[in-house]
Amino acid sequence: MKKYREYVEKWERKIGSFLQFDPEKTKGDSNPDGVLKGIPFGVKDNIALKGFDMTCGSKILENFNCPYTATAVEQLQKAGAVAVGKMNMDEFGMGSSTDNSALAETNNPWDTSRVAGGSSGGSAAAVAAGLVPFALGSDTGGSVRQPASFCGVYGLKPTYGTVSRYGLTAYASSLETIGICGESTAITRNVFNIMRGVDVMDNTTVDYKPSGKDDTQTIAVLKIGDGDLSEEVLNSYKVSIGRIKDLGYIVSEVELPTLKFVVPAYYVIATAEASANLARFNGIRYGLAEKSAETPSDLMQMSRNAGFGDEVKLRILLGTYVLRSGFQDQYYHRAQKIRTAILGDFNRIFEEADALMLPVFPTAAFHHGSSDLTQLQQKAADLYTCSANLAGLPALAVPSTIENGLPVGVQFTAPAFEEERLFRISEKLEEIFPAQKPEGFSKEWKA
Amino acid sequence: MKYQSFVGLEIHIQLISETKVFCSCPNNFGDEPNTNVCPVCMGYPGALPSLNEEAVFKALKVCKALNCHINEKAVFDRKNYFYPDMPKNYQITQFESPFGVDGYFNLELDDGSYKKIRIHDVHLEEDAGKMIHDGYQSRLDYNRAGTPLLEIVTEPDLVAGRDAELFVQQFRQMVRYLEVTDGNMEEGSLRCDANTSINLPGKGLGTKTEVKNLNSSRFVNKALTYEIKRHAKVIDKGGEIVQETRLWDEKTSTSKSMRTKEDSHDYRYFPEPDLPPYRVTAELMKEVLSSMLELPNDRKKRYLEDFKLSPEQAAFITGERKTADWFDSLLKLGADSNQAASWLSGDIQKVLNKEDVSLEESPFKVERIKELFDLINAKKISNNIGKNLLQAMFKEDKDPSVLVKEKGLEQVSDTGAVEKVVDEVLAAHSAVVDAVRAGEEKQVGFLMGQLMKATGGKVNPQMAREIILKKIKLDISGDSQSRDPKIVDKGSEK
Repeated sequence: MKKYREYVEKWERKIGSFLQFDPEKTKGDSNPDGVLKGIPFGVKDNIALKGFDMTCGSKILENFNCPYTATAVEQLQKAGAVAVGKMNMDEFGMGSSTDNSALAETNNPWDTSRVAGGSSGGSAAAVAAGLVPFALGSDTGGSVRQPASFCGVYGLKPTYGTVSRYGLTAYASSLETIGICGESTAITRNVFNIMRGVDVMDNTTVDYKPSGKDDTQTIAVLKIGDGDLSEEVLNSYKVSIGRIKDLGYIVSEVELPTLKFVVPAYYVIATAEASANLARFNGIRYGLAEKSAETPSDLMQMSRNAGFGDEVKLRILLGTYVLRSGFQDQYYHRAQKIRTAILGDFNRIFEEADALMLPVFPTAAFHHGSSDLTQLQQKAADLYTCSANLAGLPALAVPSTIENGLPVGVQFTAPAFEEERLFRISEKLEEIFPAQKPEGFSKEWKA
Repeated sequence: MKYQSFVGLEIHIQLISETKVFCSCPNNFGDEPNTNVCPVCMGYPGALPSLNEEAVFKALKVCKALNCHINEKAVFDRKNYFYPDMPKNYQITQFESPFGVDGYFNLELDDGSYKKIRIHDVHLEEDAGKMIHDGYQSRLDYNRAGTPLLEIVTEPDLVAGRDAELFVQQFRQMVRYLEVTDGNMEEGSLRCDANTSINLPGKGLGTKTEVKNLNSSRFVNKALTYEIKRHAKVIDKGGEIVQETRLWDEKTSTSKSMRTKEDSHDYRYFPEPDLPPYRVTAELMKEVLSSMLELPNDRKKRYLEDFKLSPEQAAFITGERKTADWFDSLLKLGADSNQAASWLSGDIQKVLNKEDVSLEESPFKVERIKELFDLINAKKISNNIGKNLLQAMFKEDKDPSVLVKEKGLEQVSDTGAVEKVVDEVLAAHSAVVDAVRAGEEKQVGFLMGQLMKATGGKVNPQMAREIILKKIKLDISGDSQSRDPKIVDKGSEK
């Protein structure tokens, strides 16, 4: 255990993936005999874990001691896994770099001048560095898959409704799910199967039976236009196409006509829901409370003003704007129509193919700050990931290649509840190209 | 008045349920502040609502009672506004597709006629907590936060304050029958906001104002009557009504502006993503229907039409479901409806009032009352003894037949025995006997009184009177002053 602490602390000075780390703290809450006995895992800091603070990477919750544990985490504890700490993230999940965390900076273990991606940057970075074999994240528009791709690990966004959201601090309720950053397909699958299931505390969880048609024969591949991807990512994408062909899959190129509309639709829906979801943070019952406030309404305004970062304020304003009465047809309802249309696109593809391959993000991990990609470019780059959120489908980011010293992943998606298809494809690719380790990696946690 | 007036109501009722509407905390907000709370109803990050089926069931009962169309797919929405007592700063309610829409209520007016009042919708939502301003402090109690509220919105079909008052009263009675709320207006378990507008006949609705803070049906009437007059005055003077929300001040009997339309919230409704649309299944509706019962206005109508009860009696008996149920089960035992109605609304109620006990908690079981009626109707005891017996039945909690035996109250109808007592009374009061003979017929009453006193009221009064008159040998045939036709008949036979 001492060795493990030392290993983590050494890495943490470089990458800063944890906001809180204490492998002993919740050990007693885990079943000593489960199938994941003793396996440590990290929990994104917007997921409830009793005993730890839950900051969501925000000043407004900086000192919020969480009084309960999320259902998904409880399932893992019952299976023996030990939650060792809370992972850094973009404030309330709003961002693609983890630079929007108000509390700490997280660096990519492959190149500390670059971001780990986001918003689940802490989770992906910790897995990539070997600090934990898996970590929970949350995926609202790509927040698990994009950092997984940037850090060279596996990243699963499950089908909406398969994993309970009870305990996941809501950003965009209808889009997001708890997801997994894992060091292998096997552990990602294992963790998913333990977490999934109907939860009485989350009425959006569903009872379902997968089709059992797990052996994929045909994979549709999204056609890439000129300039859609960086050279590295395009190259990596081509390698992946070659590999799936070599594996014997029947490959056909497809287009998603709705794809160009998904980012605006995604941001309308996400910010609309966020404007309501984040209204509860007002300094009254918990969290940052401005001491100088003289009336309850002052307290609410001043605490929110001091507690939220710029990106969060921007999205709350945007969401408030699109929900105004008289403007809903123009924005919110229109976005819902696009949402239906993208699902239609996917359904058409899945009539012909068992799964769809598409890029995760147009670039590899970018540098801190906005020098490589502005905040707006970062948002526009969500197109490949946020479609699965709009459609509620499962999607898995799989490590594909190392380009100029940086990992690049590729993404597979399938019809709802067909996670197993994704794992089978991923397993076969893993045999050809297992997740690579950054320099200095060791499996200390197993010792 | 030269104007037409329109009144619509928004009524909130607190539903009775074990738990809050979206979490498992007890629905009991009178407890020590902030004890019935959890991450869900406190709006903690990550907590999610899960819908309480009991509240849904009760909501559907009210929808059915108001003849609503039930939306098979009921949707919850978020209503966004900031208020310190609202933990999430949005309220989960129903907007686009509530449980019930397009219903109606048959309102009974003062003249006994009915008017159909259309119901716009019935929707389920959560209540907020309570903020108490205490000097320099504001204190918050979240025990009430997340308790189930049902809102009923009428169309503006009510014409005047009195209509609205009647609506509130009859609606309250109905939801109490359905046992979905206790309907206590003072304590806020039934809250009413009223909106009104006036216009020249044929011109349709005018600009409306809404009045809040009406915690009795009488205030609803007063406030609306005041508002309608105020509107008329403004318009008469050539002014315009400002669309606004006003507060009723009972102390001054006036309404005051609270906020105008410009300050009103844009609630930014959108579907609640945490609760999937609720499917109202045929099985559930079957259960709801089998839990329904005859509603008070229907029951009242039945009593008036089938039993010819007086409107007062019918209103009294149907006032509370338990009273009406008691009445119906008494009739089931074979009791006469008019006898049952007059006893229930008369002497039985008198005893209950005096003892301050409710009918169902009293020893007045229907079987006992039926037995009492049988004793009276078979002339085993007089009506008066029967009335006195009620008190004993209450105090001693015994059957009337037992009490009659124990107390020897059985009516004496044996002519020989009665004659004997009459002789004694007449002998003791010869002066009165003379007076009767001299034409002071009223004095017979005195003799009857003495007779009753001597026998403890047990003699059959009709028989006793006949014997007295016979003994005095008074011929009163043709005396138009007589109040008792039977005596006249007997006399004329002589």
